[in-house]
Amino acid sequence: MGSNEVWNLENGITNGSSHEPRLVKTAHSLSSSSLRRKSELAIGLDDVRPLLLKRILINFQEVILGTKICPLFLAIPFAIVAQSYGFGRPWIFVLSLLGLAPLAERVSFLTECKRFAVGGLLNATCGNATELIIAIFALYQRKIDVVKYSLLGSILSNLLLVLGTSLLCGGLANLSKEQRFDRNSADVNVLLLSLGVLCHALPLLSQQSGNAGTSADSSILLLSRASSIVLLVAYMTYLFFQLKTHRQLFESQEDDENDEDEKAVVGFGSSFAWLVGMTVVIALLSEYIVGTIEDASITWGIPVSFLSIILLPIVGNAAEHAGAIIFAFKNKLDISLGVALGSATQISIFVVPLCVVVGWILQVDMDLSLSTLETGSLTISVVIVAFALQDGSSHYMKGAVLLFAYIVISVCFLVLQSPTNLGNLNGSGYESSVGFSAA
Amino acid sequence: MDSVVSMENGGLKGSSKEVRPGKTAHSMSSSSLRKKSSARLVSRVRCELLRNVLTNLQEVILGTKLAILFPAILLAIAAHFYNFGRAWVFGLSLLGLAPLAERVSFLTEQIAYYTGPTVGGLLNATCGNVTELIIAVLALSQNKIDVVKYSLLGSILSNLLLVLGTSLLCGGLANLHKEQKFDRKQADVNCFLLLLGLFCHILPLLFKMAAKSGEISTLPTLSISRAGSIVMLVAYVAYLVFQLWTHRQMFETKEDSDDDDAVEEEVPVIGFWSGFAWLAGMTVVIALLSEYIVGSIEAASDSWGLSVSFISIILLPIVGNAAEHAGAIIFAFKNKLDISLGVALGSATQISMFVVPLCVIVAWIMGIQMDLDFNTIETGCLALSIILTAFTLQDGTSHYMKGIVLLLCYVVIGACFIFIRTPSNEANILNVAKTSTNSQMLGL
Repeated sequence: MGSNEVWNLENGITNGSSHEPRLVKTAHSLSSSSLRRKSELAIGLDDVRPLLLKRILINFQEVILGTKICPLFLAIPFAIVAQSYGFGRPWIFVLSLLGLAPLAERVSFLTECKRFAVGGLLNATCGNATELIIAIFALYQRKIDVVKYSLLGSILSNLLLVLGTSLLCGGLANLSKEQRFDRNSADVNVLLLSLGVLCHALPLLSQQSGNAGTSADSSILLLSRASSIVLLVAYMTYLFFQLKTHRQLFESQEDDENDEDEKAVVGFGSSFAWLVGMTVVIALLSEYIVGTIEDASITWGIPVSFLSIILLPIVGNAAEHAGAIIFAFKNKLDISLGVALGSATQISIFVVPLCVVVGWILQVDMDLSLSTLETGSLTISVVIVAFALQDGSSHYMKGAVLLFAYIVISVCFLVLQSPTNLGNLNGSGYESSVGFSAA
Repeated sequence: MDSVVSMENGGLKGSSKEVRPGKTAHSMSSSSLRKKSSARLVSRVRCELLRNVLTNLQEVILGTKLAILFPAILLAIAAHFYNFGRAWVFGLSLLGLAPLAERVSFLTEQIAYYTGPTVGGLLNATCGNVTELIIAVLALSQNKIDVVKYSLLGSILSNLLLVLGTSLLCGGLANLHKEQKFDRKQADVNCFLLLLGLFCHILPLLFKMAAKSGEISTLPTLSISRAGSIVMLVAYVAYLVFQLWTHRQMFETKEDSDDDDAVEEEVPVIGFWSGFAWLAGMTVVIALLSEYIVGSIEAASDSWGLSVSFISIILLPIVGNAAEHAGAIIFAFKNKLDISLGVALGSATQISMFVVPLCVIVAWIMGIQMDLDFNTIETGCLALSIILTAFTLQDGTSHYMKGIVLLLCYVVIGACFIFIRTPSNEANILNVAKTSTNSQMLGL
C-alpha cells in the first residue's frame, strides 16, 4: 500500500490528481530543456526483474544519458586518469574543461527538479554553480587573478557572445518578421549590471585620482567589502522582485508546443543525491583546472588572462549558449535575453560579491578592482548592450555588432602581456607590485 | 544615330523602364543645390558635336550654385607655381575643394542611374567621402599621421554635431508649431555602429593608460589597432548588406505627393561614359588640391597662428562637407528630418567604420605605423559627442533646443582646440607621439 505509492512518488509517476503547483517555466529551464532528450524508458529495461535495479537503471539513464552532450562525460574519467598518472598538465586542463560542459548542464537539469521544494531561488543560485565552484577553488589557492578574470569573462561572454550570437542567428533566421521582446525585464537587468560596473569602477578611479601609499590598498579592500555587501542586498531585492512582486514581467509566455510533460522524472531524494555527487565531481575538475591553468598557458604560449576570460566561460556556458541560440531561431527572444542577461546579472551581483565575502572569511585579499583594460571593456560592453536593447526590437545587425565587440576584446586579451602573466604565477600574492613598463 | 546621341545626352524619355533607384538621403540632399541648366544658349551653336560637348560642360560645371568657387582652383594652381604665400595656396585650395566635392557626388548619382540601385547605393556609400579619403591617403604618404587622424576625427565630429545641430536648429525654428518626428530605427543602427567604432578607438587608449600605471609591460597598440580595423571593415560590409539588401525599407526616404521638387524628371542628364570620364578628371583635380593642402598646412598654421589640429579638425571638414551641410539644412526646413539625419549620421558612420580603418590598413601596406589611438582629449570628445547624439535622437522627435545644444557642443570643442592645442604645446605633443612610436618600433 504505502510503499507502492511512495515508490511511485519517488520515481515521479505522479498522476494528475496530485495538486502540486506547476512551477512557472523560467527562461533558464526552457533553454536548458532544448538540450534534453526524452529518455526511452522502455528500452531493454522491462526485462530487468528486480524492481530496485530497474529503478536505479531508469534513474541512471535519465540523469546521465538524458542530454545530447553526454559523450563528453567520458572526458571526466580520462581527466582523472591523466591526473593520477601524471600526463602532460595541458591535457588535464583540456580534459577537465571538456568534462565540465555536460556536468554544468546536468546540474541545471537537477536543480529544476528540485524546484518543487524551494522554488526559483535554488535555480537562480545553482544556475551558475560551475563559475562559483571554480572561483572558490581559485580563492582557496590564492589565485585571485584567476578568480577575477574568470568572473569577468563570464559576464562578458554572456553579455556579448551569447547575446550577440542569439540576436545574429535569430535575425538571420527571421529576416522578414519583426523581432520584438519585452523591454522591462531587459531594463532591470541592465540597471543592475550598471550598479555592478559602478562598484568595479570606483576602486580604479580612486587609484587614478592619485591616492598613493600603502594605505590605498587597505582602503580599496574596505571599499570592496562594503560594496559587496551592498551588491548582495541588491541581489536579494532582485530575487524578491523577480519571484514575488513582479513575477509577471519575467514569466515566459507559454505556447502549447512546449507543454511537454514537465513532471519530475527524477525523485526528490535521488535528485538531491545526484546533485551532491555532481557537485563533488565539478569540484574535482575545477581543482584540476585551477591547478593546471598556468602550465597550460606556458605550454601553449597564451596568456593566462585569455584562458580565464575567453576560454573558460565559453566552456562553462556552452549549454546555455546553445539553448539561447535555438530559442532565438524560433523568434522567442524573451527567453534568449532572459538566459543571457540573467546569467550576467547573477554573476555580477551575486557571485562576485560572494567571492569577496568568502575571501574575507578565508583571510584572502580579494577586492573588486579590475585593471584599467578590464574595467573599460566591461563598462563599454554594458553601454553597448544597454543601447542595443533599449528600443525593444532586434535585427541581425545588432547581434553582429555585439559579436564584433567580443572579438575585439578577445584579441586584446590575447596580445596582453602583463607582469603577472609572465612572472611569478604561483599565486603567492605577487600580483601587481611588479610595475615595470617598456622603454 | 540621332537616338544614340540623344541617349548619350540624357534625352531619355519616360518610356524607358529602368528601375528607378530608391532615392537615398544623400542623393536627395545634394540635389537641392542643383540648378536646371538652361538649354537656350547652347542650342544656338550650330555644330552638333560642339553642342554636345557644351551641354555636357554646362551641366557638369555650371550645374551647381557653388560653381562660382571653381575659379579658386585655377587661382590655387597659379599660386602654387608662382610661389605666392603658402597660406594663400592653402586657402584657395580649400575653397576650390567645396564645389569639387559636390560635383563628385552629383556624378556618382548620375552613374547610379545606369548601374541600378544596389551598385548605385554602394558607389554612393563609398564615393560619398572621397574628399576625406584622398586627403587622408595623401597625408599618410607624406607620413603626417596626425593630420590624418585629426582630419578624420574632425569629419566625424562635424557631421555629428555641426551638420546635425544646425539642421535640427533650423528645422526647429522653421517648424515651430509642427511636431517633428523621424524614424528612430535608422538613427539607432548608425549610432550603434558609431559606438562600435568608439570602442575600437578606446581600447588602445586603455592600453596606454594601463602601461602608464605599470599594469602591462609591452604596448601592442599597433596590432590591436590593425585587428580592430579589420573588424570595423567587416562591420561596414555587414552594414552595407543590411542597408542595401535585407532591410532596404528602413533606409528609403518616403516620397510625399505634395512635394513638387520630387516630381521632376529624374533622368540622368549626362551619359554613362562621360560621367565616368568627368569623375576620373575631378578625382585627379581633388588629388592635386589635396596635395597642396597637405603640403602647406603647417605653413598656413604658422602664418595664421592657429594650430594644425584646429585646422584639421575644424576647418577642413567644414569645407569638405559644405555641400552636404547645405542640403541637410534645406531638408530640415521642409520638415523632412529623415533625410537630414540620413546625411549626417550616414556620413559619420561611413567615415568612422570605413575611411578610418581603411587608412590603417593602407598605412599597414605602406609600412607606416598608424594606429587607432587618437589622443585622450580627442577620444574623449568623440565619446561624448557620440553619446550625446545617441541620447538626443533616442526618442524620435526633435525641436530646436536639441539643435542648439549640439551646436554649442561643437563650439566648445572648437574653442578647446583653439586654446589648448596652441602651436607651441602641440609641438611637444607631436614630439612625444613620435618618441613613443619609436619606442614601439624598438619594442616590437
